[in-house]
Amino acid sequence: MKNLLKIFLLVTLTVTAVSCGKDNYDEPDSLFSGKVVYNGEPLGVRGSNGDVYLQFWQDGYELQTSFNVYVAQDGSFSAMLFDGTYKLVMNNNRGPWVNNPDTVIVNVKGRTTTDYPVTPYYTLKNIDYSLSGNTLTASFDVTQVSAGRSIEYVALMVNKTKFVDFGDGTHVNWVRNTSVTPGRVTLQLNIADDLNKQVKLYARVGLKISGIDQGLYDTEVHELK
Amino acid sequence: MKKIHIISTIATLLMLAGCSDFLNRESESILSNEQVFSDQNMITSVLANYYGRIDWGQSLERGGDYCILDEATHSSGGPDRAQDYWDDIWRVYDYGLIRNINQFLQGINSPSAANLSDAYKKQIEGEVRFIRAWTYFNMCRCMGGMPIVNDEVFEYSGGMDITALQYPRSTEAELYDYIISECTAIAQLLPEGRTVNAARVNKWAALMLKARAAVYAGSIAKYNYLTPEVKTAGGEVGIPADKANGYFQIAYDASREIIAGGVYNLYKNNPNKGANFYEAICNKSSNEVIWARDYYYPGNTTGFTNGNIASSVRGDIDANIMTPTLNIVEAFEYINDRDGSLRTRTADDKDYIYYDKPEDLFKDKDSRLYGTIVYPGSDFNGIPMTYQAGQKYFENGEWKERTGNINSFDEDGDILTSENGPNKSDDQYINNSGFNLRKFIDYNKDASTRGRGSDMWFVRMRYAEALMIASEASLELGKDQTEICSYINQIRERAGIQLLTHVTLADIEKERLVEFAFENHRWWDLRRWRRAHLVYDGMADTYSSVHYALFPFIIKDTTHPQNGKWVFDKLRSTWTAVYPHRFQFRHYYNFINQDWINRNPKMVKNPYQ
Repeated sequence: MKNLLKIFLLVTLTVTAVSCGKDNYDEPDSLFSGKVVYNGEPLGVRGSNGDVYLQFWQDGYELQTSFNVYVAQDGSFSAMLFDGTYKLVMNNNRGPWVNNPDTVIVNVKGRTTTDYPVTPYYTLKNIDYSLSGNTLTASFDVTQVSAGRSIEYVALMVNKTKFVDFGDGTHVNWVRNTSVTPGRVTLQLNIADDLNKQVKLYARVGLKISGIDQGLYDTEVHELK
Repeated sequence: MKKIHIISTIATLLMLAGCSDFLNRESESILSNEQVFSDQNMITSVLANYYGRIDWGQSLERGGDYCILDEATHSSGGPDRAQDYWDDIWRVYDYGLIRNINQFLQGINSPSAANLSDAYKKQIEGEVRFIRAWTYFNMCRCMGGMPIVNDEVFEYSGGMDITALQYPRSTEAELYDYIISECTAIAQLLPEGRTVNAARVNKWAALMLKARAAVYAGSIAKYNYLTPEVKTAGGEVGIPADKANGYFQIAYDASREIIAGGVYNLYKNNPNKGANFYEAICNKSSNEVIWARDYYYPGNTTGFTNGNIASSVRGDIDANIMTPTLNIVEAFEYINDRDGSLRTRTADDKDYIYYDKPEDLFKDKDSRLYGTIVYPGSDFNGIPMTYQAGQKYFENGEWKERTGNINSFDEDGDILTSENGPNKSDDQYINNSGFNLRKFIDYNKDASTRGRGSDMWFVRMRYAEALMIASEASLELGKDQTEICSYINQIRERAGIQLLTHVTLADIEKERLVEFAFENHRWWDLRRWRRAHLVYDGMADTYSSVHYALFPFIIKDTTHPQNGKWVFDKLRSTWTAVYPHRFQFRHYYNFINQDWINRNPKMVKNPYQ
């Protein structure tokens, strides 16, 4: 009986030890990162809800499945990948920029950085936030880069987390202006309640483009408290 | 040792000998064409199989599906945290069924079916071709144009070139054209008389599908300019504007043929208009229902009544899985006022309006409200229905409230919170919105038990839709307002509300919302009119994007002159639906699955994909 147990243990141990090496793949270990850029400058997007993402494809296999890499608020994205050649594609009309059917080819080898260039409809520049008393003021330059889409509204939003955007759960207070033309824009918002109630408070401005579900945002959130 | 050799030799020989016979046996689980087409009972059971495979979209099979629009909200349990719709919502892709139907069609025309009479063959051919057209129609409204395989039954043998089997997607217009031409042919094949429980299709169902497909195609052609990015270069999504009138003409003709046919009518047997509307849809003898998904007891029932019935009349523990929203209740007009908002506050919003009885709030509402929804103070099969969220009392210049758990009483023995709630609780089976569904809920108490289930049918097509399509198509064709109104006013007259003298598309949208609530129309209507991204725009201040509830309170304050009266709070129901619904442009058409593209590289993707 004792012998039987010994044999059993020995066999089990051997099988376990041997199969370990066979069963498992190495995890991907190459960090790929980049930013969505226009003229080298990153563009701010909605970072919550998985709204804006890039798709990665890899050729050379019979069946294809893409995977999504989500774009963060500051326009950056990153993924851990295996070394290899990938195609980087933006879904039609999923971002606040001119539809870009170009595919960016990426050779991932070790730590790789590749930006994804786009042409926006508008840019937001020289963004200033100032708080005087309970009134938050934001002013910024709206410049039209490509024709074809009007501005649905610009908004100044505040939220209790660092995620600040047009989504319902991602701003606690906002002000919108629906009649804006390119040039210097100033928005004011009374945030007395929010300053009182919230432990932390962050502000951000955004521009909603009509006909696209997405908007363009400040790449940074402004910490109020 | 020798012995073993002998035994194994014998065994091997036995096995080899047995094999040939064994392999030649006929399968007991696969029936041959001869077996099926020589027996009408077999044919009926094959048809039943097809009829049972087409419950798509909102139906009695999945009550929760009603909560993602603005008709109902998720009462039982915790709140729904969904904000976005998903890319494969209600997606239909069933070439398996289409293949089976095409095999069946081959069978009808094979020698095995020689003994069937021509009249019978015509009917079953019409039925399966209808189910195929219905399948294509459901795929088309989900995804736009898809491969049309006609009567082809593909056979694959090893080594053959599969690219011949890979069909590209048709354009959206081509697929609607195919459905329409199929329906024209099917209408010639099918009998004209009503069928038992409207379970099987006849000529009028084929015409109804034709009218529906044509009005969908017409409105997409006319309104897809509103969403210019929602199209593909090859026309798989999007229909050219110049085709609109042709489609509306087809819809106009087909719906008027149903009206002129005289086999179906608006149901008007019960002089009580509210009860009449319930019977028109839920009574299986209704002369209005053209085609329904029928159920029967015992054997084929649903748990829809069990899950969605009101607490005080339930037969089991389950109730209130989904309950109607205040939004849908307010969509029903008043008899003489087209604004259906409930009058809970004075015009200057400074004070409540006080009601003697809760049902007084709903006095003079469209009778269809009663037929569709159980509201405070109405009844369920004669049983009075109480909805009380709590008591109110006046203190220090403002109203305050006392509420308790479900079915609780104060120290005087008066109701604090009634069994039917409403209440903001996250517990299971508790009403959170202040209403219950009546349409498609079975009055038979046994039907609301888990074990039994209900045989209530789900109405897919009824005569009122022919009237609504006739009205919409004549509006789009620029006909005289007298004619446009003549159709819609038959429906409004039956409901007992004021007749119209001028109809717009907004009137059509509103009428369809209340007439066809819970009948799987709203989502598809808003998509074909390209209105969905505005109706569900994700903004908390857009009424239709969020769910509202109605909380009734009784005043218990002996020092207040309004003691014993009822007041009502309209509340945004964040305890059932946390976020506003956000319909994005990409939701106008479901995504094409990458797996289908891998198998058939000729398939192109949909917009935004």
